[in-house]
Amino acid sequence: MLHIQNLHASIDDKEILKGIDLNVKAGEVHAIMGPNGAGKSTMANIIAGKEEYEITQGNITLEGEDISELAPEERAHKGVFLSFQYPVEIPGVTVTNFIKTAINETRKAKGLEDMPAKDMLKMIREKAALLEMDRKFLSRSLNQGFSGGEKKRNEIFQMAMLEPKLAILDETDSGLDIDALRIVANGVNKLKSKNNAVIVITHYQRLLDYIKPDFVHVLYDGKIVKSGDASLALELEEKGYDWIKKELA
Amino acid sequence: MDLKEKIIASHIAFENKTNVKSDVINKIRTKAFQHFETVGFPSKKMEAWKYTSLNSVLKQDYSLFPEEDVTVNLSEVKKYFIHDIDTYKIVFIDGKYSSFLSETTHDKMDICLLSSALAKSKYSAVIENYFNKIANQDNLTALNTAFANEGAYIHIPKNVEVEKPIQIINFITGSKSATMMQPRNLIVVEQNAHVQIIERHQSLTDNNVLTNSVTEIFADRHSTVDYYKIQNDTKTASLVDNTFIEQQSNTECSVHTFSFGGNITRNNLNFYQKGEHIDSILKGITLIEGKQHVDHNTLVHHIEPNCESHQDYKGIFDERSTGVFNGKVIVEKEAQKTNAYQQNNNVLISDNATINAKPQLEIFADDVKCSHGCTIGQLDEDGLFYMQQRGIPKKEAKALLMYAFSNTVLESVKIPELQQRINRIIAKKLGVNLGFDL
Amino acid sequence: MKYTEDDLEKELENQEYKYGFYTDIESETFAKGLNEDVVRAISKKKNEPEWMTEWRLEAFRVWKTMEEPDWANVHYAKPKFQDIAYYSAPKKKPKLNSLDEVDPELLDTFKRLGISLDEQKRLANVAVDIVMDSVSVATTFKKTLGEKGIIFMPISEAIQEHPELVKKYLGTVVPIKDNFYAALNSAVFSDGSFCYIPKGVKCPMELSTYFRINEGGTGQFERTLLVADKGSYVSYLEGCTAPERDENQLHAAVVEIIVMDDAEVKYSTVQNWYPGNKEGKGGVYNFVTKRAICETNAKVSWTQVETGSAVTWKYPSCILKGNYSVGEFYSIAVTNNHQQADTGTKMIHLGKNTKSTIISKGISAGKSQNSYRGLVQINKRATNSRNFSQCDSLLMGNECGAHTFPYIEAKNTSAHIEHEATTSKIGEDQLFYCNQRGIDTEKAIALIVNGFSKEVLNKLPMEFAVEAQKLLEISLEGSVG
Repeated sequence: MLHIQNLHASIDDKEILKGIDLNVKAGEVHAIMGPNGAGKSTMANIIAGKEEYEITQGNITLEGEDISELAPEERAHKGVFLSFQYPVEIPGVTVTNFIKTAINETRKAKGLEDMPAKDMLKMIREKAALLEMDRKFLSRSLNQGFSGGEKKRNEIFQMAMLEPKLAILDETDSGLDIDALRIVANGVNKLKSKNNAVIVITHYQRLLDYIKPDFVHVLYDGKIVKSGDASLALELEEKGYDWIKKELA
Repeated sequence: MDLKEKIIASHIAFENKTNVKSDVINKIRTKAFQHFETVGFPSKKMEAWKYTSLNSVLKQDYSLFPEEDVTVNLSEVKKYFIHDIDTYKIVFIDGKYSSFLSETTHDKMDICLLSSALAKSKYSAVIENYFNKIANQDNLTALNTAFANEGAYIHIPKNVEVEKPIQIINFITGSKSATMMQPRNLIVVEQNAHVQIIERHQSLTDNNVLTNSVTEIFADRHSTVDYYKIQNDTKTASLVDNTFIEQQSNTECSVHTFSFGGNITRNNLNFYQKGEHIDSILKGITLIEGKQHVDHNTLVHHIEPNCESHQDYKGIFDERSTGVFNGKVIVEKEAQKTNAYQQNNNVLISDNATINAKPQLEIFADDVKCSHGCTIGQLDEDGLFYMQQRGIPKKEAKALLMYAFSNTVLESVKIPELQQRINRIIAKKLGVNLGFDL
Repeated sequence: MKYTEDDLEKELENQEYKYGFYTDIESETFAKGLNEDVVRAISKKKNEPEWMTEWRLEAFRVWKTMEEPDWANVHYAKPKFQDIAYYSAPKKKPKLNSLDEVDPELLDTFKRLGISLDEQKRLANVAVDIVMDSVSVATTFKKTLGEKGIIFMPISEAIQEHPELVKKYLGTVVPIKDNFYAALNSAVFSDGSFCYIPKGVKCPMELSTYFRINEGGTGQFERTLLVADKGSYVSYLEGCTAPERDENQLHAAVVEIIVMDDAEVKYSTVQNWYPGNKEGKGGVYNFVTKRAICETNAKVSWTQVETGSAVTWKYPSCILKGNYSVGEFYSIAVTNNHQQADTGTKMIHLGKNTKSTIISKGISAGKSQNSYRGLVQINKRATNSRNFSQCDSLLMGNECGAHTFPYIEAKNTSAHIEHEATTSKIGEDQLFYCNQRGIDTEKAIALIVNGFSKEVLNKLPMEFAVEAQKLLEISLEGSVG
């Protein structure tokens, strides 16, 4: 599904990604781990198409199509979803209105009519229930005054609504208490199928107890320095990142 | 003869008396004089003077050039100095330099007189470079420029951190008649230098006094200037203070204005940011009663990107007093990433007091954070009750609340002795003795 | 082929039908220029009583002594007042029964908005008065309203039919000497709406006036007088459009509202006068005086969405005269290209326990200048009065300006005034977030602007809110590169 080849990227002439290779197939869950500043969030943002990063080498393909030149919304229309580490606030725009706009714009891009209000409502109710979200929550301004947990839950709610092919969860576990973590992870697991794929970016093993990865990659200094199965995450948890650093040195 | 005519008539005599060699300076003065002749004094019809009328002040018959050589005993005036710390002092009595009360230096910096800087050729380069370069053409500034002769001249060279504060004090004795003064200060702070200045105008008479002061301050790169104005004059003294500050990159300049006394006080405070990474700080506490009138008219002109300004003015108005806050922030098109904050909070204690506020923003750049907040209200009733319940009498409780109200301004005063002095003035104004220094 | 008189008649009929009101109705337009004779002629044309003619003449004499104000933060070539025709009207009153006969361009605009005005009004049960070039051409639902004792008619008719009411209230809120444009309007206004809601009556439908400048070289000077008697309620909507012309057209209206004890008036405006083209040529000068006076426990609420006009100079005001009276002002002003807006409100607190709220949202794009100017005045006797003001500006692009000029005057210790203002831009991160969810940049901006304006949009009657929302979108089209 997602194919990243020798990806180099920089911001303000500073190289952050130094040759990433990653292959994600439908039905798989990949975990990207690594210390602060390794380039994890950068990688997520680049896949989603954030413009301030410059791809200096390599390419990104989604289902065989090179997406590295596409606008962020075009990538979104093709099924790329990024759960942001720090979701932004949009005052005055309710959660419902926002997701309605997002869905209908995506449908428009695919040449479809707007989703009938009735279906939309039904879907919103269903997905909100999945994430144990209060009805009131849906009428609040997007992310404004949300707690950390509410923001992340809202991200996964949007993911549920948009049904992406590739979901990238950028530190979705940070700022979550145990209950919220369970709800969020539960939501992700329910949405997982053999037709989509998930990339989980995290510091800790914690989230991976709930969302079982098929592959674990360690990102360090802009490169994937180690890959393995779920046991690698446990090993990392036990030995810390210094272990990797030592191994590399 | 009204005051304007009297001033115009006196100009020839003034020119004959002064001793300025520089043609450049003489030209500036002549031009300013001609300008004043045309525009005269400001009136309430002008937007900037909408809420402040000088009429009552301008109709007095002022002596323009007070008697020569009046002596004042140190014991009489000691209380007006910040005397518990070592400072440089430039003291004027009726516009004449008092070497007896002053303590100046020409050591590694010039802390001396504008009159001698204007007269001596060794200063002419600096004078011609800076004099009247940022002072504007407003009515009263032009008037001051036309008669500019005496005041403080402070020039801090590169990398000099002045180790003690400088006090600039103008005493007016005016025992025989009403007096008008026009002090002019020029302060040049070179790269990476640092200076703290305390300024005060003090009348020693019951006769009317009108001071029209102009101060120009130039802060070169990486310099820091902290300027404190203590306005606690007698009820017959009025002041129009015009201060202009030009900041180059990476400078931090602050002006604190403490307005407690005086009749009509008008502060025109103008900051021009001519570089990047500049911080401008404008703060003030106004605490007045009777028929006092204090008008803060501020301008922060953001010209270059990545700069900040912080304004915080607190006002407490009792009896028939009037307060004006007219704060303007301009953010030019080039001044992206500007952060400009303006806060003006007022408390009216009496039904006869008035506050007029006009906080303005003029913004031409899109990537900026600007905000202003302005409140008019009363002291917190719950807070008052809480303190009373704990046994603090109402008067003291009120004083404590007012103190708390103005504390954001006080706490940024960097000279502890000055901070204590201001505290004591406030406590005295509020008529409380709390058994500890506020 | 022979051309008979019958043929001619038929053709004329067809033409009138085919081209409709906009191009084919012959207008009677006075020669340009203004003097006492013109004022008299306008009055005569309207068959006005003597007192009305005198009132106009007095206004004209006052106007001659006044100077055009220049304190607003707008720059424009001053209108040449002798170069304007002060009266223009369809020669004969056309028989207009349904709104879609009115003006194809107006309807076009609404079609573009995805709204059929006709449908809208019928569905929403709105009574509409259409004022075209200052002459009222159609008032609907007159009968329904009449049953409740509500008078809603062109002011020219009201002068004839209810002279005692007009005489009693005209010029009491906005005196003829009030300002330059108000004086001019008083001298030359040709029509407008008059509305009277009797004691205790809640108006069962929204009353609505559509203003339209049609003829070239004319000014529009309409006059609205709205009287809400004790304990009554009315919601009033006002919409404005004008065709595209290269010249600048002058619109100097006066709206007076009298809100008696315990009455409530909601006055909503969606102003979409022609703003001029991209280069700033043409467009309407919108110099309007709107004011309401509130008696005891009365409430007035101004809501405005200002997207049009080349230059706007407008401060809907509230004189809170009675104790416990309430004034509200909710405004969205959008400027794009070369538009200039200087708008805001005045809240004059005279009575005790009076309350006012100001929410102003300014959005500037292109090379436009957008100013908020407001006065909050708490007078000495206005004990326990409160005001809350919030002025937020959103800047789009680097060639526009946003300005805030609040005047705050308090003379009473119990006054409680809070004023807040912020300026911001649409954040890159907000746009990226929307993009990532599949929303393109143009749409994302519309979404964010809508959110920004929410507090005001929510105050509009439903059908107006939809219009306003679309208008915002259209006004900002192409504002981002």
